[in-house]
Amino acid sequence: MYTIELEDVQGYVLREYGNMKFSRFVLLKITEDSQAKKWIKTICDQLTNAVKVNKDELPDRGLNIAFAKDGLTALGLDKKNLDSFSPPFKEGMVTDHRHRLLGDIDSSHPDSWEWGGKNNEAVEIILLVFGKDKNTCMAYYQELKSDFEASGLWEVRKLDGLTLPDNKEHFGFRDGIAQPIVKGSGRTGPDYNCVNPGEFILGYENNYFVFPDSPAIFKEQGDVNLLPPSGARPGSRDLGKNGTYLIIRQMQEHVDRFWDFMNEETKNTDDSINEEASIKLASQMFGRWPSGAPLSKFPDKDPGGASDDNDFLYYDDDRTGAKCPFGSHLRRMNPRDNFEHDSKEKSIILSNRHRLIRRARLYGEPIISSPTNHDPEGEVGLYFTCFGADISRQFEFLQYTWSNYPKIKQLYIDPDPIIGVVEKPEEGQQQQFTIQGEPYNKTVKDLKRFVTIRGGAYFFFPSITSVRYLCTLPPKKDN
Amino acid sequence: MSRQNPLTVITPIRPDKLEELREILDYMKYTLENIQGFEERSKFKDLYEEVHYLRWIIIDDKESEFFKHKKNADSLKPKLVFSSNFDKSVGHHLDDLSTDKLASIQKMDGMAVYSDGHTLTDQIYSCCIGYPESSNRTHKTRKDYLRDHIVKVSAFYRGSPRRSVTQIKEENELRVRLRKELDDNKDKWKDLSAKEIHRKLKLLISNDHNITITDTKYRMPKNSVFKLCLLVLVIVLLLPVIIIWLFIVQFGHEKYDKYFTTYRSDIPRKNTEILEEYEDLTDGERPEPVQGFAVDIATTQPKKDMVINYQNQFSQLVDMKPGKVRLITFKAMMLFARVIIPIWYVEGKLLNIPTIHFARWVLFDDNKRVLFFSNFDGSWQQYLGDFIDQSGWGLSAIFSNTTFFPKTNWLGSTGFFSMKNILPKSKMFFPGGAYDEEHFLAWSRSTELPTNIWYSAYPDLSIKNVNNNSRIRVLLAKNLSEKKAKKFFELI
Repeated sequence: MYTIELEDVQGYVLREYGNMKFSRFVLLKITEDSQAKKWIKTICDQLTNAVKVNKDELPDRGLNIAFAKDGLTALGLDKKNLDSFSPPFKEGMVTDHRHRLLGDIDSSHPDSWEWGGKNNEAVEIILLVFGKDKNTCMAYYQELKSDFEASGLWEVRKLDGLTLPDNKEHFGFRDGIAQPIVKGSGRTGPDYNCVNPGEFILGYENNYFVFPDSPAIFKEQGDVNLLPPSGARPGSRDLGKNGTYLIIRQMQEHVDRFWDFMNEETKNTDDSINEEASIKLASQMFGRWPSGAPLSKFPDKDPGGASDDNDFLYYDDDRTGAKCPFGSHLRRMNPRDNFEHDSKEKSIILSNRHRLIRRARLYGEPIISSPTNHDPEGEVGLYFTCFGADISRQFEFLQYTWSNYPKIKQLYIDPDPIIGVVEKPEEGQQQQFTIQGEPYNKTVKDLKRFVTIRGGAYFFFPSITSVRYLCTLPPKKDN
Repeated sequence: MSRQNPLTVITPIRPDKLEELREILDYMKYTLENIQGFEERSKFKDLYEEVHYLRWIIIDDKESEFFKHKKNADSLKPKLVFSSNFDKSVGHHLDDLSTDKLASIQKMDGMAVYSDGHTLTDQIYSCCIGYPESSNRTHKTRKDYLRDHIVKVSAFYRGSPRRSVTQIKEENELRVRLRKELDDNKDKWKDLSAKEIHRKLKLLISNDHNITITDTKYRMPKNSVFKLCLLVLVIVLLLPVIIIWLFIVQFGHEKYDKYFTTYRSDIPRKNTEILEEYEDLTDGERPEPVQGFAVDIATTQPKKDMVINYQNQFSQLVDMKPGKVRLITFKAMMLFARVIIPIWYVEGKLLNIPTIHFARWVLFDDNKRVLFFSNFDGSWQQYLGDFIDQSGWGLSAIFSNTTFFPKTNWLGSTGFFSMKNILPKSKMFFPGGAYDEEHFLAWSRSTELPTNIWYSAYPDLSIKNVNNNSRIRVLLAKNLSEKKAKKFFELI
């Protein structure tokens, strides 16, 4: 029914690049826009697209590019055209309202971020460089970097990401298992997990069967003939078509605090660590076991191995939350067919209006931590990366309504135990995790915050055509 | 039992006092919820004990961002709108607002300080046209003035019918207490069945003289299937008229109307910023009380490290489309709402939306304009999303009678086949309008107004919490089977 122009879509939104274990995200600032545009034009042919590739033909390296608002300004995009971008992108991640909504307070406050914050160098362009291993990635990066200076580009920061065996993150849990299937992307899956292309790719119908708000050219500049006509705004050219928004957040994982908390809560009467109980509590908070196996299917014990099991629903199997607690990260971030108190069918419709495509990559000295091994060397964490055509209805909704807001289902004071806990609660403010069960629900009190946000930004992840178009913008000084 | 009445009072503002009124409302913005000491709170006792929510909002202020771009900006006359939800009768509530005993909140050296001398009502309404002169201000003259300016509510929704502020608070304390018993005395409950634990808790609470709420019996309001059937019957009988009417609306009007085509990205940043500030900062900042009552106004400014408030408010002002057909349609929808709400929406959900405490529609200004006020849980995006997801048809049927609404199809079924399996059935029959997600969200934002003062009596409770607490209270009083007892404990 839907067909996406995959050869025009930059790949990372629809392809995991799973074979490319190493990545370097380079934050660039434009010092001279004409040179920069010339250079970007030269890399357009190298940009990896979203066409599905057979396993044995996967490339060794990959390249994508995205732009923050300041980057588009620096390239010379007229303010009228910039204004057509969605409000969260235009305003950025760090406005007063938004950082409160996202829960970026206390030590996660944007004032103390390492990049993207108010006290940091403005984020303009992000170059996403991938390689099948570190050497391949570094070689590709060096190749690109040699041109930066002559091309009016200044490297502000490098974000190096890696993938651990079995795709585990530092807390010790297998990550990135559940992803929505985008119709028209050439990938297939069960109906309940499929969404319309406009949820993730601009210029197509979304799950409300309307065209998402997509940036358009209102003031003619550059070679607008490159761009297709806009579905959302008849009469203008669509800058957004085949593009999307990219969200990156650097999330430090305090694996020591995490396991100390689990160990303390579950310790034996003689104060020794109860490893099994500790892992179980952590898994209840995640909603999956370290192997990735979902609790709603394996409520008692981790079956082990590496699980990709994503074929489960809640309504018939676990409506009371006795297997997988309502407050668990997994269940909050995708309630599947058990959305609040709605019917099965309606729940799926509603859940699928708030999906993300996630692409986390880790940073820091790798550790797959556990109750007895949780002292990393230096800072560890992940670059939480996700895509969505509507930042407000997708990423921000998940972060606030489903994570920070403690009142989903019949809960009262239960934030998301992994990413929603307030570090310094008000005096007397309790934050708990409820474990549904018989004869009565148990609670884990005084939750601690296990993550710190260290940086982040919203980017426009344009189609390859739109990247080419941006390179045709007239020199900035002429504007 | 509480009646949970609504009151709406709209008064014209004296142009020479507009600036002063803005300032008063501004520094009082967060004070009501922040008054702390017992003695200080007693000065506003009636309000605290009776009022669930209240708000003041200035409309038609041509100097404000929200009105100055209107075509008729120059002819606008500023008005003050007061809206409240309270337990007693309207007369009693007016008494509480008119009494000499009500203190006021003055600004002194950057502090908001309560003062016995003048009443809050005098302070605010002396800025309004026709309010009694200071020499002539008595309980009676104040009450008469307010009563003369009451505007009837066209339709009204309660998320927790019949429950008073006190009941809501005490039922929450009961739930907190039960949770604490379960958490703190785990050994006591070990090896007991749900039924036994329930029985023991019931005994424990009934022996606790500090908890009095369980001394009285309570029954949750229930939706009435019988009355709904009657209503459906009436609608079926009226169907020929309704269908003809739908054709008239669709082909005689909707087709020719100007509709809303703006996107969220087109809305001026300035306006959204003002609205967002109000969303963040309602009860959010709890400034430290200084010298008893005085509240440092500076500390009520946004704190750096504050999560946004759990509850929120929405104020919206729209113009009716001209003509009798639109007015009749709107009034019919209001009548329908007035009939169906007490029959079918008394269990905490309005059109299946589980996040609304109170909502009201007010047709005023010679039937030319409509105010919509609601008190809800969670963020703006969640609330408006709920509207589309759960009740788009109802909203479209009401608001498409107001100017510049997203294009609505009263006869439905466009694209019926492509939509089945994926869309709620209601959308198939009534597409466009609120289901036009992007435009509806933009429309909601662009017709929203900032609220000058907003007060909530229980800002930490969602409406789901309130109803859940009542259920717990009801079930605690009963003798439960093991199965029922397990259900009871699912709630806590």
